[in-house]
Amino acid sequence: MRRAAWLLAALALAAGCAERPRGAEPATIVFKHAKILGPLDPIPGLLREFERRNPGVRVRSEALTWTSDEQHQFYVINLDGATPTFDVLLLDLIWVPEFAQAGWLLDLSPWVTRDELAPHFPAAAAASVWNDRVWGLPWNMNVGVLYHRADLLRKYGLAPPRTWEELVEQAQRIRAGERDPRLEGVVWQGKQYEGLVVNVLEHFWANSTALLDEHDRVLPEPDRAAAALAFMRGLIERGVSPAMVTAGDEEGTRRVFGDGRAIFLRSWPYAMDLFEAADSPVRGRVGIARLPGHAGGAAGVGATGGFHLAVNRRTRHAEAAVALVRFLAGAEGQRAIAEAAVALYPTRVDLYRDPAAIRAHPHMPRFHALALGGRPRPVTPYYLMLSTTVQPEFSAAVVGVKTPEQALDYAKRRLEYMLSGLR
Amino acid sequence: MTARERADRRTGLLFVAPALLALATLTVYPGLWVLWLSLQERIPIFGIAHFVGVRHFAFLAVDARFWNATRVTLVFTGVSVALELALGLAVALALQRQRAGRRLALSLLLLAWALPSVVTAKLFEWLYHPSAGLVNVVLGGHAFNWLGDPRLALPGLIAADVWRTMPFVALLCYARLLTIPPEVYEAARVDGAGRTATLAWITLPLLRSILLVALLFRTLDALRAFDLMFVLTGGGPAGTTETLTVYAYRSLFQTLQLGFGAAIGCVIFALVMLVAWGYLRALRGEGAAA
Repeated sequence: MRRAAWLLAALALAAGCAERPRGAEPATIVFKHAKILGPLDPIPGLLREFERRNPGVRVRSEALTWTSDEQHQFYVINLDGATPTFDVLLLDLIWVPEFAQAGWLLDLSPWVTRDELAPHFPAAAAASVWNDRVWGLPWNMNVGVLYHRADLLRKYGLAPPRTWEELVEQAQRIRAGERDPRLEGVVWQGKQYEGLVVNVLEHFWANSTALLDEHDRVLPEPDRAAAALAFMRGLIERGVSPAMVTAGDEEGTRRVFGDGRAIFLRSWPYAMDLFEAADSPVRGRVGIARLPGHAGGAAGVGATGGFHLAVNRRTRHAEAAVALVRFLAGAEGQRAIAEAAVALYPTRVDLYRDPAAIRAHPHMPRFHALALGGRPRPVTPYYLMLSTTVQPEFSAAVVGVKTPEQALDYAKRRLEYMLSGLR
Repeated sequence: MTARERADRRTGLLFVAPALLALATLTVYPGLWVLWLSLQERIPIFGIAHFVGVRHFAFLAVDARFWNATRVTLVFTGVSVALELALGLAVALALQRQRAGRRLALSLLLLAWALPSVVTAKLFEWLYHPSAGLVNVVLGGHAFNWLGDPRLALPGLIAADVWRTMPFVALLCYARLLTIPPEVYEAARVDGAGRTATLAWITLPLLRSILLVALLFRTLDALRAFDLMFVLTGGGPAGTTETLTVYAYRSLFQTLQLGFGAAIGCVIFALVMLVAWGYLRALRGEGAAA
């Protein structure tokens, strides 16, 4: 099967070249991606290996800016134009349906069968599919988890909390016992940006409701959603979370916990590699657990995220580009990333039992169960419209300038206006 | 008009034609295109493109988020420009009197002005950190939540902007001060003018036109402010630092509502043009008086 695909790719390339007057000119495909910092970046090595196996194909990798907003802007501007400046792209999975709907991505269905998606985590595989077609292959995986100070919990004879209400109690008890005014309860991401939406969604889900239900209705149960937001505001009002969370992003909150100044942290798997670094003050004292649920609601579940590999629809080298995507998302490509000591987590389930990968990230088996249970954010082409519209409203509720009801009411009306023209 | 004058005029037009053409293709054409875009519902990813007239502007008129962004933009512009002018002037006057270390002071001033604003923003992100930031340490260890508190975020951004652009005003004023002939001051002293009188009747009137120029540049820049709030707060918390440009950016590049975003862009353009026109009138009056 695989060999046949390579053969096809080679044949197509040969045919493509034959049409050109100059003959055996090598095809150069451009791979656009955010750079992995440090000398351990496994990508250059993978690309050379791909070139070795595909004579006549060269891959040039071009770095992308760091922030998600800038990457999105870059893609929007460059994919909309008629000339392809890159062939293969790494994109945030929330953009996959949007770019697919816009006609910017090559439909991978003729090459990639559903079987090829099976080895990936279900949440990651689901994000590759839109309108029954495959638009990308999963490359790395993120899932929201609850970090806790295992040493402190042990000292007070506590198990990781299963509900947020239990977490509040534990935080109060530990802080009363420790008498350390600098020790915070729980830190999370409350700045007005995508991270806040992720945190709110997790509280919605824990309270058995959603931002968008399966019938595409916006905020189907405003009361439950309001209760979730009120709980988040309450964490700050009761002093369980410091006021800084209203400006906290991933790195800001990670540092508070990493300096040993918080008992709990909601974050992504990458943080664990930093907590276990040689010079980390919390090294060996951090535990990982599933996010708590809400009393009277559902069990907790972490939101999933990550990046996918896709092909520019206007590429002139579709076969080679698809081959590169399949190689990087395949077992070997992902193993190279999992085994390198970079804080990226693969989407292929079996790598979480791979001895070499576990040597690089000893806590990998722990993330396996959490990632299996992860839940994707709404998979829809207007996800960004949804997210940017609710961001100021969620922020208003969390900092307390609006009641949760006011904030949700405005968000709902605004979203319905924005979406009315699209459906 | 004589034939000679007419011929001269034609030659003149010929000479400015390339510049006019460049201006037309680079400014007028995109400007008109944005105006045309603002009258359409255009969301390419859904294949939506149709004419809607002034519907976007009608929505903006009742859009709370738009009015909030307008208010934030005006407050940011008014307060930051006023502070920049006052402080810039004070620094320029101080520089004029200073003998030792003037070169060092000038380079330090230039440093703040020369830093890319994203770098400035990152710098202030650290300065404002509630527990580890220098600002709170200097203020006596209070845990002010600068960027996360809806009452403090905008003042925090204004302070960062003043820090960054006050040197521009200071340098402009300082350059003008250097060109005032010392004889003027000597004459004032002979006439018995004190320090305050010299400042009020000689220095300030002579700085007037340069201050107007600084005011024009700074106001237009501040009305279009984007990078500081984008990096530091993302417009938050609760939209308290979302300026019109940030709102336009979110609509254009994040939600890809090109028509709606263009409508916000048109409002910004109108606002900037209005202010520029007012200043230019004032400046022209200035030229006539001098």
